[in-house]
Amino acid sequence: MTTTSSDTEQVPVAAPLVGRPDVNRKRMARLGWGFTTPSLIVIGLVTIFPIVYSVVLSFSAATVTGNGVALNGFTGSNYSLVLSSSKWHYALGFTIIYTLVTVLVELVFGTLIALVLERLTAGRGLMMALLLIPWSMITVINAELWGYIYQGTYGVADAILNAVGLGHPNILGQSTPAIIGLMIADIWKTTPFVAILVLAGLVMLPGDIYEAAEVDGSSGWSTFWRITVPLLRPTLALAVMFRVLQAFGLFDLPYVLTNGGPGTATTSLAILGYNVIFKNLSFGPGAAVATTSALLVLLGCLLSLRTFRVQVGKED
Amino acid sequence: MSDVSMDKVNKVYENGFHAVKDMSLDIADGEFMVLVGPSGCGKTTALRMVAGLEDITSGILRIGGKEVNDETPKERDIAMVFQNYALYPHMTVAQNIGFALKLRKLPKNELDAKVKEAAGILGLTDWLDRKPGQLSGGQRQRVAMGRAIVRQPSVFLMDEPLSNLDAKLRVQMRAEVARIQRQIGVSTIYVTHDQVEAMTMGDRVTVMRDGTLQQVDTPQNLYDSPDNIFVAAFIGSPAQNLYDATVGEGARSIKLGSQDVELPESVVLKRPGLRAYAGKEVVVGMRPEHLRAESSTSTGPKIVGEVDLVESLGSELVVHFTIDAHRVIAEGAVDKDEAAALQSGEGVARVEAKTPVKPGDRVTFSVDIEDMQFFDPKTGLAVRG
Repeated sequence: MTTTSSDTEQVPVAAPLVGRPDVNRKRMARLGWGFTTPSLIVIGLVTIFPIVYSVVLSFSAATVTGNGVALNGFTGSNYSLVLSSSKWHYALGFTIIYTLVTVLVELVFGTLIALVLERLTAGRGLMMALLLIPWSMITVINAELWGYIYQGTYGVADAILNAVGLGHPNILGQSTPAIIGLMIADIWKTTPFVAILVLAGLVMLPGDIYEAAEVDGSSGWSTFWRITVPLLRPTLALAVMFRVLQAFGLFDLPYVLTNGGPGTATTSLAILGYNVIFKNLSFGPGAAVATTSALLVLLGCLLSLRTFRVQVGKED
Repeated sequence: MSDVSMDKVNKVYENGFHAVKDMSLDIADGEFMVLVGPSGCGKTTALRMVAGLEDITSGILRIGGKEVNDETPKERDIAMVFQNYALYPHMTVAQNIGFALKLRKLPKNELDAKVKEAAGILGLTDWLDRKPGQLSGGQRQRVAMGRAIVRQPSVFLMDEPLSNLDAKLRVQMRAEVARIQRQIGVSTIYVTHDQVEAMTMGDRVTVMRDGTLQQVDTPQNLYDSPDNIFVAAFIGSPAQNLYDATVGEGARSIKLGSQDVELPESVVLKRPGLRAYAGKEVVVGMRPEHLRAESSTSTGPKIVGEVDLVESLGSELVVHFTIDAHRVIAEGAVDKDEAAALQSGEGVARVEAKTPVKPGDRVTFSVDIEDMQFFDPKTGLAVRG
């Protein structure tokens, strides 16, 4: 690690010392710009421009015209409209709860699976490969799959619930069961990812620390809470950050599985934004939904990152 | 504080590897016992069996007279210092040292007092709030020691605790660990591959090879009268000069290559067993300091060697020389590079700093024949009584 970083530091510094420093440096700089400009242009066009345009849109009284969208000047009304809307309140609440529940459950199950996998002496590779099947599956396919499982007349879940005497609950037709069904589909798909991440953290923990803890008189539960969890904190924080970012942007799973319904029960912020823009063609308010969501995600990301850094810093 | 006793203890791993063979060893209460041997000799396995980190295949292990084969490390009341220290990186120095006491639910004020006391002994008082990552190697080593001594356990186990320190610090910590052990008086088993550590620290030293115990004795006795060729070659630095030789008729001389070395009556009287070797082969051992480069006028047994290399240590010269006798190499006692040099019949002498020798010289060494060691070439055992 150290050698690599010092190498990369030394190259640009050392090169100008030979021959004519200024000429060399300028030539190197030109070359550098030459290499990076094409990709900067592409990034600018496909990433930065849409972001900036979306922010501009969110502050505009935009209307749809025959030639596209007219911005029609600056206004703050999109935000006041969105922030006071009960639909937005619900979508925000739903997205937050959905994120908290799925991330927490995935973290607990993922850690448990990782602990089991770590102790596995034979067949660990096979188990990991099997586990990764849900994770590697495209979300839309996953959603379709669970759609069949939850289907009211021939779905497996429906049959099982009927067999245990709960009748035909029409899972995706009622708010709470639909939300839970959505969460289960997400947890099924993403827990393996968390498990693999945590497993990677676990196998990096030094074995002699556990022997030291054993000699010190620690065992089982106490070792897990006092040694494993604190040492895994950076890994867990990383997993949480990844998952929070993903879960907060929840779109494709409910879009395919429930289309935000029944009613608006599974309408996440992303689905709400999509509906406002592309169904109502209300570009200004839709952009405001997207921008506030992005800001909230950024905030969540910074918080996770901060926790993560503090933990790593404390260890050094 | 307790004695430790191993009674025909064996360790056979699942893959059939027999790591420790019939090891019987008694460590007295308060004794500092060093287990030494080349890597793979089973010394660490033996230590880990005492710790309870490794199952005992057969035999009985007693601590304080009580059989502890099936007890957990916690129940055995041992403390261990690991090679890589194994400090808890997320805990401060104070928390590291106090962890075992905290698990035992010691009241906070008592725990703090004990941690402070241990930190005081180890000079860690100013570092109690630091994390291991902020400490130097020597300080980490001390924290590992602190974690062990704060418990006041029955037995200390140390697994090459100084091997990660640089040479200078190692010498310093060597003395310090020995001092602390004496201060606390807890029975200690200390594993090392470094025979200098073994010699300087141990009350007694156990030499192991291939899972088998070779000799248990005080450092001085190991050095002066090794039981076999392996111990003779392993203990001492630079290593002892071991050569194949033939005992002359009537055991009055020794033929070392093409040279005849006179064998005074007194030597044979001290080792009557030597008479039986008259006319037969024997392995002779000469410590480097028992060869003196002297003026040709002095009398007594001598050998002549051609000087290959002279290393000056300031206080003395280490003279590498060659004689035409066959050098005996105890497998595992010397490393491979050294073994290659020895194949050519190279020997080493430690002579006074001002002695005028240079490579290419033919030098006459007078031999302290009374200190010469003799071994049977077949069994490798010392020839004494």
